[in-house]
Amino acid sequence: MGDPSSVATFQFGGLTFNAANIYSGLIAFVLVFLFVFALSRHITMKPGKGQNILEWLIDFTNGILKGSIPGNETGAFGLYGFTLFLFLFISNQLGLFLQIAVGGKDFVRSPTSDPIVTMTFSLATLMIAQFAGVTKYGWKKHFSGYLQPFVFWLPISIFEEFTNFLTLGLRIFGVIFSGEMLLKIIGGLAFSHGIATMIVAIPLELVWQGFSAFLGAIQAYVFVTLSAVYISKKTEIGD
Amino acid sequence: MFSHLAVASSLAIGDMLFYAICFIILMWLIKIVAWKPINKMMQDRADKISNDIDSAEKSRDDAAKLAKQRQDALANSRHEATGIVDSAKKQGQQQRDGILAEAQTDAQSLKDNAKKDIEQERQDALASVRNDVADLSIEIASKIIQKELSADDQKALIDSYIEGLGK
Repeated sequence: MGDPSSVATFQFGGLTFNAANIYSGLIAFVLVFLFVFALSRHITMKPGKGQNILEWLIDFTNGILKGSIPGNETGAFGLYGFTLFLFLFISNQLGLFLQIAVGGKDFVRSPTSDPIVTMTFSLATLMIAQFAGVTKYGWKKHFSGYLQPFVFWLPISIFEEFTNFLTLGLRIFGVIFSGEMLLKIIGGLAFSHGIATMIVAIPLELVWQGFSAFLGAIQAYVFVTLSAVYISKKTEIGD
Repeated sequence: MFSHLAVASSLAIGDMLFYAICFIILMWLIKIVAWKPINKMMQDRADKISNDIDSAEKSRDDAAKLAKQRQDALANSRHEATGIVDSAKKQGQQQRDGILAEAQTDAQSLKDNAKKDIEQERQDALASVRNDVADLSIEIASKIIQKELSADDQKALIDSYIEGLGK
């Protein structure tokens, strides 16, 4: 599945698209939207069930951001953190119960099991961090932060940005990708030698699915937490 | 792994663009559908709660003030009532004393008048008796002079006079 040959691609407007990413991404986006849409229908002073869930989620993601970003600056990133958390969470869980492969090519799986997708979000986070730094301190002061503690630190600072980008994206990719891979292997085992292997494989699959669901939630949380950390790093250079 | 990344990078732009755009659209939709109204409602609720706390504090103060006023009024009215009763008592006492004194002087003057009248009467009676006695003596003397009188006659005479006195 991670193997490019198992993925259908198509060209559009001179760009190459990965069919699996597009379909599963669309499904995840629609699911997130429907989830939020359904829960936010009757917004009242006395919150109902749906509104309570949504308010708890908002408080939760705002709490993650507040843990790292000081002061009242979380307001600007609250929506980003909220959407990111929901999307990553649903993406991570999507592949656990919905994996569609046609003719040996994946069409639906966790969008986050592709490094391109996760790196898109880590890139977005780092760009937002840069943007926040520039808007807060101006170009000069923001980029002078790269010369701290002394000028020759510059290559290390730049390299650090690059590794931040890579690790943020690859961490979630690795966990989700390996989780799905193992699910597939266990699934293959289940059908390999009839009933006997199925009996062995079903509890294994159940356990691993539960563990993956847990890991998916943890990874979404970690991603948002690290996003907040990177953003706060860029908005706190100038002491 | 790295070969995968290398191949993926040739795919990158399309998927990245797709995800970036979709994510921005999703953020925008969530902002419209949920984020803004819910944050507004949470803000409203926070405001309402703080307002409620303030107004509760205020009404508690008002209630305390009212209770104090009422207590003051009660104490005041009790005080006033005591004053009214006291003054009524005092007035009553005064009136009683006045009436008593008046009655005493009235009685005294009545007694005095009565005494004076009685004395007057007695004097008058005495004077008239004296006059009568004088007249009688004169009459008796004249009668004696006119004729000799036996003792019986005298007695009869005196009796007749005494009888005449009784009339």
